[in-house]
Amino acid sequence: MTAAEERVAEFLDGGRRRRRDIVTPEGVALPVEIAGFGDRAAAFLVDLAIWFGASIVLMLAGVLLLAFVTRLLHHGAAALIGIFFGGLLLASFLARNFYFMHFELAWRGATPGKRLLGLRVIDRGGGPLRPSAVVARNLTREIEAFLPLSLLLSLGAGSGWERLSLGLWLLLFTLLPLFNRERLRAGDLIGGTMVVLLPRRMLLADLVEAGPAYRFTDRQLGAYGAFELQILEEVLRRPGGSEARAGLRDIAERICRRIGWSEPVTEREVERFLRDFYIAERAFLEREQLMGRVRADKHAGGTDGKL
Amino acid sequence: MSLAEREPAAPAGPPPLRLKSSEFRRLREASWRDLEALVGRVEKRGVGALTADELERLPLLYRAALSSLSVARSIALDRNLLLYLENLSFRAFLAIYGPRGGFFEGLGRFLRRGFPAAVRAARWHFLVALLTTLAGVAAGFLLVAGDPAWFQTLVPGGLAGGRGPLSTRQQLLVGEIFAPWPGAFRAFALMGNFLLSHNTLIGLATFALGIAGGVPTLLLLLYQGMTLGAFLALHADRGLTVEFLGWLAIHGTTELTAILLCGAGGLVIAETLLFPGRYARLESLALHGRRAGQIMLGAVLLFFIAAILEGGFRQLVQETDLRFAIGGAAGVFWLLYFLFAGRERRR
Repeated sequence: MTAAEERVAEFLDGGRRRRRDIVTPEGVALPVEIAGFGDRAAAFLVDLAIWFGASIVLMLAGVLLLAFVTRLLHHGAAALIGIFFGGLLLASFLARNFYFMHFELAWRGATPGKRLLGLRVIDRGGGPLRPSAVVARNLTREIEAFLPLSLLLSLGAGSGWERLSLGLWLLLFTLLPLFNRERLRAGDLIGGTMVVLLPRRMLLADLVEAGPAYRFTDRQLGAYGAFELQILEEVLRRPGGSEARAGLRDIAERICRRIGWSEPVTEREVERFLRDFYIAERAFLEREQLMGRVRADKHAGGTDGKL
Repeated sequence: MSLAEREPAAPAGPPPLRLKSSEFRRLREASWRDLEALVGRVEKRGVGALTADELERLPLLYRAALSSLSVARSIALDRNLLLYLENLSFRAFLAIYGPRGGFFEGLGRFLRRGFPAAVRAARWHFLVALLTTLAGVAAGFLLVAGDPAWFQTLVPGGLAGGRGPLSTRQQLLVGEIFAPWPGAFRAFALMGNFLLSHNTLIGLATFALGIAGGVPTLLLLLYQGMTLGAFLALHADRGLTVEFLGWLAIHGTTELTAILLCGAGGLVIAETLLFPGRYARLESLALHGRRAGQIMLGAVLLFFIAAILEGGFRQLVQETDLRFAIGGAAGVFWLLYFLFAGRERRR
C-alpha cells in the first residue's frame, strides 16, 4: 500500500492498521496487513479445540478397544494399559505436529483455524513459503507452549519454583508477539515467516460513466488533490440511506463553496453533481499525474481551506 | 486540457469524457476476472483442481496482473481498482508460490537431504558442543574420582535413582546395568514420554537458550558432560567401566548425538544473533534459524529413536557385547548418514 492509500485508509477507518510491504520475486512491492494478536490467538484456540476434540475421540475409541481386549485376555492387562497410555501420549504429540504442518503445507499457509479467521502464513522476505520454514515454526511451538504446558500439568505437586519458572516461560513466549511490530512469535522469528490477514476484495463498477452533466474548469478542479478524490470515491461507493444522503448534501455544499460554484444544486441532483465532479476531478488529476505534476492533496498547490 | 476548460455546457449530449485509467481497465478487466476465478478455485481446492491448460495460464495471468498493478499505480487514481489489483496479485502470489508437496513428501525430502545438509553446515558448532561436553565429562570424572562426595553435588537426586557413593558393585550390577526387563509398561511409557524425559528436556532447553547468546547452551552442555563423568567415575571405581559403557552405549550414541545436535542448533542461533554480519539481526535469524530448526527437528527424531532403544531394548539385551554392537552400529550409522546422505553428486 502506498503512503497515499494508507492515509485514505487511516482517514476512513479512523485508525492505522499494521501494514508492511513484501517484494515478490518479480520485484513488485505488495502491501500486506499484519494479523493482530487477537486474531492469531483465536485461530490457535480453534486449532487447539480441533486437536483436543480429535484426541478425545481417539482416546474414547482406544478405551473401548482396550476394555474389549482386556476382557478377552485375563492376564497382562496392566502391561496393556501401560502400552496404551504411552502410545496415547506419543500419538497426541505426533497428531498435533502432523496437524499443523500438514495443513500449513497443503493449504498454503493456513490451518483450519487460520482459514476460519482469514489468516495466512507467508515468508517474511516475499519468497515462497518453504517446507523447512513450516517445520521450524511449528516445532518451536512445541517448545513455546506445549512442552511447558504439559510439564505444568504433569508436574502436579511440583515445587513452587519450578511452577513459577514454567509459568514465566509460557507467559514470555505468549506475549512475545506484542513486543514487535510484526507480531512475530518465536516460531516466526526462527522460521522467517509472518502471519498476515488475507481479505478478499471485489472489483466494483467504475464510477466513470459516459455523459457528464456538469463541467468544471481546471482552476476549479485544481482546488483538490488525490487524497480528497479518493475520499469522495469511497463516499460515493457507500450504500445510500437518508443519513448518507445528508452527508452527500454536506459535502456538495462544501465543494461548491470552495470552488466557487454559483449555480444552485437541487436535492435530487446532489449525487449526480458529486459523481460528475468526481469524474472531472479524476480526469484532471490523472492527466496532471501523467505530466509529472502529482497533487497529493488540497494543500499541495499552496491553496488551502477545508473540505 | 481544453476539454475541461470549457464552461459548464448544456446537459444535453456533451461528448463523453475519456479517462486513460478507465480505458485501461476496460481492456484488462477480462484477464483479471479470469485470474480471480482461477485463484478462487486454487484457494478452495488446491492447485490440483486446475487443468493442465489452466495451470499454464495461471503464472501468465499473475504476471499480467502484476504489470497491470504497476501501470495502475502510475496512471490511475481509482482507489477501489488499486486495492483490488493489490489484493488479487497477493492472492495469486500465494497460490503460485505456495509450498510444494504435502507433509510426507516434505518429511522424506527432509530426511534425505535437508537434515544431513543442515548438520554438515553446522559441523563447527557441533564440534564446539562435542568438545564442551567432553571437557565436562573429564571434569566430572576427575572430581568424583578424587572425592566421591562430589557425586551428590553433580547428580540431582531424581536422576541418581538411588545410585551414589554408597552403592555397592552388586547393587549397581543387579539394580541398574543388568536389571530385569521392566516389562512393556515401563518400556512404552518411556517411549510415549520421551518428550518429557530428562535428557530431551535438557536438549530442548539447550537449543532454546541459544537465543540468550549461547553461554547458557555451553553451560548446559558442560553440566550434562559432568553428570556423565560423575556416573563414569562411580562405576569405574567399582570396576564396572565396560559394563556401564555398554549399558550406556546402546541408546547413548543416539541420545548423545541428539543432545549435541541441540547444542549445535543453539549455537547456530547464538551466532546469528551475536554476529549477524551484513544482515540485521532479525534477518540473520530468519536466514539461519530455519537451518537451526531443521537440526532441532532431526534431534527430536533422534531422541525418539533413543527412547525406543532405551525403553524397548536396553534391558531386553543383557549381554554387554551385544549392547556395544547395537550402540556402535547406531553410532556408525549416524556418522555415515551425516557425512554422506544427500550430498550433491559431483559432475
